Amino acid sequence: MERKNILKILIVLMFVCLFIGLANLDLLQGAKFRGLSDSNCIRLISQSGARGNILDRNGEVIVDSKISYDVMILPQEMDQLDRVLAGISRILGVEVKSLKVVFRRNYFSSSLPVTVASNIDLKKAIQLGEYKLEEPSIIVQPNPLRHYPYGTLAAHVIGYLNEIDRWRLTKLEDYGYKTKDIVGFGGVEERYDYYLRQEEGGLSVEVNHRGKFMRVLGFESPQNGKDIQLTLDLKIQKIAEENLSGRKGSIVVMDPQSGEVLAMANYPNFNPAVFVNKRTRLIAGLFNNPESPLINRAISSSYPPASVFKIVVAAAALELKKINLSTNFLCRGSTMVGARKFSCWDVHGLQDIVAALAHSCDIFFYKTGLLLGAQNIHDYALKLGLGRSIGFELPYETSGFIPSPLWRKINKFQNWFDGDTANLSIGQGDCLVTPLQAANLVSVFANGGYLTTPYIVKSVGGLELSARKKKMSRLPFKKSTFEIIRRGLREVVSDSKGTGNALSGVDVAVAGKTGTAQVSRGATHAWFVGFFPYDKPKYAICVFLEHGGPGHSASVVAKQVIEAMIKQGLVEVQK
Amino acid sequence: MRSSFFRILILALIIISLGVLSIYSSTYQKEGVWQDIHKRQILWAVIGLGCFIVISQLNYRKLWDANYLIYGVALFFLFLVFVLGIIRLGAQRWLRFAWFNFQPSEFAKLAVIIFLARYFSRKSVDDISLLSGKFGIFRGIILPFIFVAVPMFLIIEQPDLGSGLMLLLVFVSLLYLTNVRLKYIFTLICVLILPLPFFWHFLRDYQKQRLLVFLNPNIDPLGAGYTVIQSRIAIGSGGLFGRGWLSGTQSQLYFLPESHTDFIFATFSEQWGFLGSCLLLSMYYLIIRQGFIIAQRTQDSFGRLLAYGISLLLALQVFINIAMNMGLAPVVGLPLPLMSYGGSSILVTFIALGILVNIDRTRSVF
Repeated sequence: MERKNILKILIVLMFVCLFIGLANLDLLQGAKFRGLSDSNCIRLISQSGARGNILDRNGEVIVDSKISYDVMILPQEMDQLDRVLAGISRILGVEVKSLKVVFRRNYFSSSLPVTVASNIDLKKAIQLGEYKLEEPSIIVQPNPLRHYPYGTLAAHVIGYLNEIDRWRLTKLEDYGYKTKDIVGFGGVEERYDYYLRQEEGGLSVEVNHRGKFMRVLGFESPQNGKDIQLTLDLKIQKIAEENLSGRKGSIVVMDPQSGEVLAMANYPNFNPAVFVNKRTRLIAGLFNNPESPLINRAISSSYPPASVFKIVVAAAALELKKINLSTNFLCRGSTMVGARKFSCWDVHGLQDIVAALAHSCDIFFYKTGLLLGAQNIHDYALKLGLGRSIGFELPYETSGFIPSPLWRKINKFQNWFDGDTANLSIGQGDCLVTPLQAANLVSVFANGGYLTTPYIVKSVGGLELSARKKKMSRLPFKKSTFEIIRRGLREVVSDSKGTGNALSGVDVAVAGKTGTAQVSRGATHAWFVGFFPYDKPKYAICVFLEHGGPGHSASVVAKQVIEAMIKQGLVEVQK
Repeated sequence: MRSSFFRILILALIIISLGVLSIYSSTYQKEGVWQDIHKRQILWAVIGLGCFIVISQLNYRKLWDANYLIYGVALFFLFLVFVLGIIRLGAQRWLRFAWFNFQPSEFAKLAVIIFLARYFSRKSVDDISLLSGKFGIFRGIILPFIFVAVPMFLIIEQPDLGSGLMLLLVFVSLLYLTNVRLKYIFTLICVLILPLPFFWHFLRDYQKQRLLVFLNPNIDPLGAGYTVIQSRIAIGSGGLFGRGWLSGTQSQLYFLPESHTDFIFATFSEQWGFLGSCLLLSMYYLIIRQGFIIAQRTQDSFGRLLAYGISLLLALQVFINIAMNMGLAPVVGLPLPLMSYGGSSILVTFIALGILVNIDRTRSVF
């Protein structure tokens, strides 16, 4: 071949080579290079909206967000950076050196804005906003933070905020949650996180090769989270917490007609603000505290109901016609069940059902319980809402427990004895109830036979939930059963020897039942469940004091709560 | 033949217009003198066009007579660069004239081609066959190599490795085209390649780095490798259709250095994409093909060699520049003919094209 032809072929080959190279870059790797090109010059600056507020039933704020301002700058070349930092330090009154230290510490990559100062006040933020006109690489970022105006108030109902953990992330990834997201833990914050959480918006800006701001490409405004209105009444909640203070336990106040929870106080409690401020030492203290202050005792722990359970036994016996109003048992202070001696806490003499409730006579209920049999007691307890979870809105609800012979056989390989039935009749043994369940139990007798489903969230983002929540079921009991037990509960307070006599001095007719739960170690738990006013009950209350002594002390706390409520005009005075 | 005149003129005009558009798009956002740079390019294009028309009318045989003068002037300017040249971008490549900077190495490329075409097309006195076929190793290789090596050395010392090697490549391909024996050419190539490891020590640091970076751009992504990485990103981000005129972020936001000179292909390709770049490549191919056609149908051996030399010069510059833009060749300072900003390059390219057209025209007169 001639040399010139070979040369011509070489030239053609050269162009083919260029063509292939071009096709490789543009067509095969085009998408990759497009991405690289964008990340060269596009910076995203996220702005978060505010998390939804949590309000009480009257629309008063329990938790809201306060805006703090962060100062961020786009990373750029050193000499420019010095100038910008000098300007910022002049306005903030902070040394350039310390700003530089912060900058270096927070610097992550050249494509992310760096926070140089956080939590600056509004005035300085405005000044910096004006300085931004000269130095567009400064970003003054409003940063809404959770704000708890009442500190520890209703902490367990609300929950706290923290960085998302691994477990939650794997569950919630599909719903748009990301690592380092702030999510709710416990309470309404956790259960309604999806509604409360804000949507991130932000700016996308174009920068040049020195990181200098060129122009804004787009803006998506951040969305605030939805507000959540609770059924809690801030006034009652405050009263409950004030009167509980210092004593371990829980107070639940609810509306027996609808099941709305009006107050849910627990102690020990915690201040959710420590999680916002990242006070690591205090947070560690909360987790390590043996008193477990993070636990919502009203729903997450269950205790032996003791004499409170006698309401269940009485209802079951009346329904199954094992006893009637004229049935009397003699209390001599003790009785024999099989070969074991079961004693009463006092000697009551001849007792009928009303008196036995009023005096909380154990002998009467041992005998009634033995007439009923354990299985019947178990069935009626479940009918009255015990031993199964209520389906409450807050997370980590426990179901409590009511034992039965069958359960004993299957799980413990033991037989059920009459002694166990006697124990169950006075709410001891394996029987466990949460304070909310106890309040719900007494509500049935307050509203004349409706088992309510307690709830605490009234509306989400202005949408009423109560309408679709109302799942009140009329219990198919005889009317007389409720009337007799109501009378007995009233006698508890009004009878001069009633266990709840401490409440008789209150300016409103209260009915209720005390309970003193034996525990294997330490002082007894004290219970008081009740409702008032007696004729037209507006409130059902449960006071539970962990290792609080006899039931009497719980009734004293209940008395203080009711008196405070009267003082605030929440209850009509009858006498 | 009028047709080759118009064909080359139209192709050149299209390419230079695309060049002006690219220069404008890469500089219109920058401040100060940058604002007017596309206007200067238009001015150079107009001057170049004038040269093209004038040169295409002058008989190229005059170059035969003037070739020692041209060669001498080129050498003189190259020496002058050493003494008076202004330093820009770390290299001493430019001579300052009244209002513009002149780059003698561009001119030297053309001068060396004219010189070599003249040298290899001498005929023996007794018959009219070409002498080059009978050349021994001295007259065939060594003597012309000395004539090439002097300007090449001066250019490499500026330092401008790209233009220097360009001379060498044009020399070798012209040797191949004339009837110099293949074994001589191979000897020359071997002699040039074998001491390369030794020459490594004579390279400037930045040249060594560029060669290393060519092998792996990521060894120094913010230093020597930066340009290639950014240029590849610019070309690749164009995709099939490109980002559109004035929408190239790489070139306009300074990410791509030298976006209006050596890396103008990346600027162009970012905005016009694969299709636009293919169009540009085919323009260049058509011009070069036109050069080869002219060379093939020219009977006069001087004219033929000259036409081959000019076409090869164009082809090699286009290839090396675009390959370097795509990261397929090491970064050497070579402009893309007719696209890159720079008066000397435009002027010399237009003059070369003028000579090409004239060779075709004169042939038909014979």
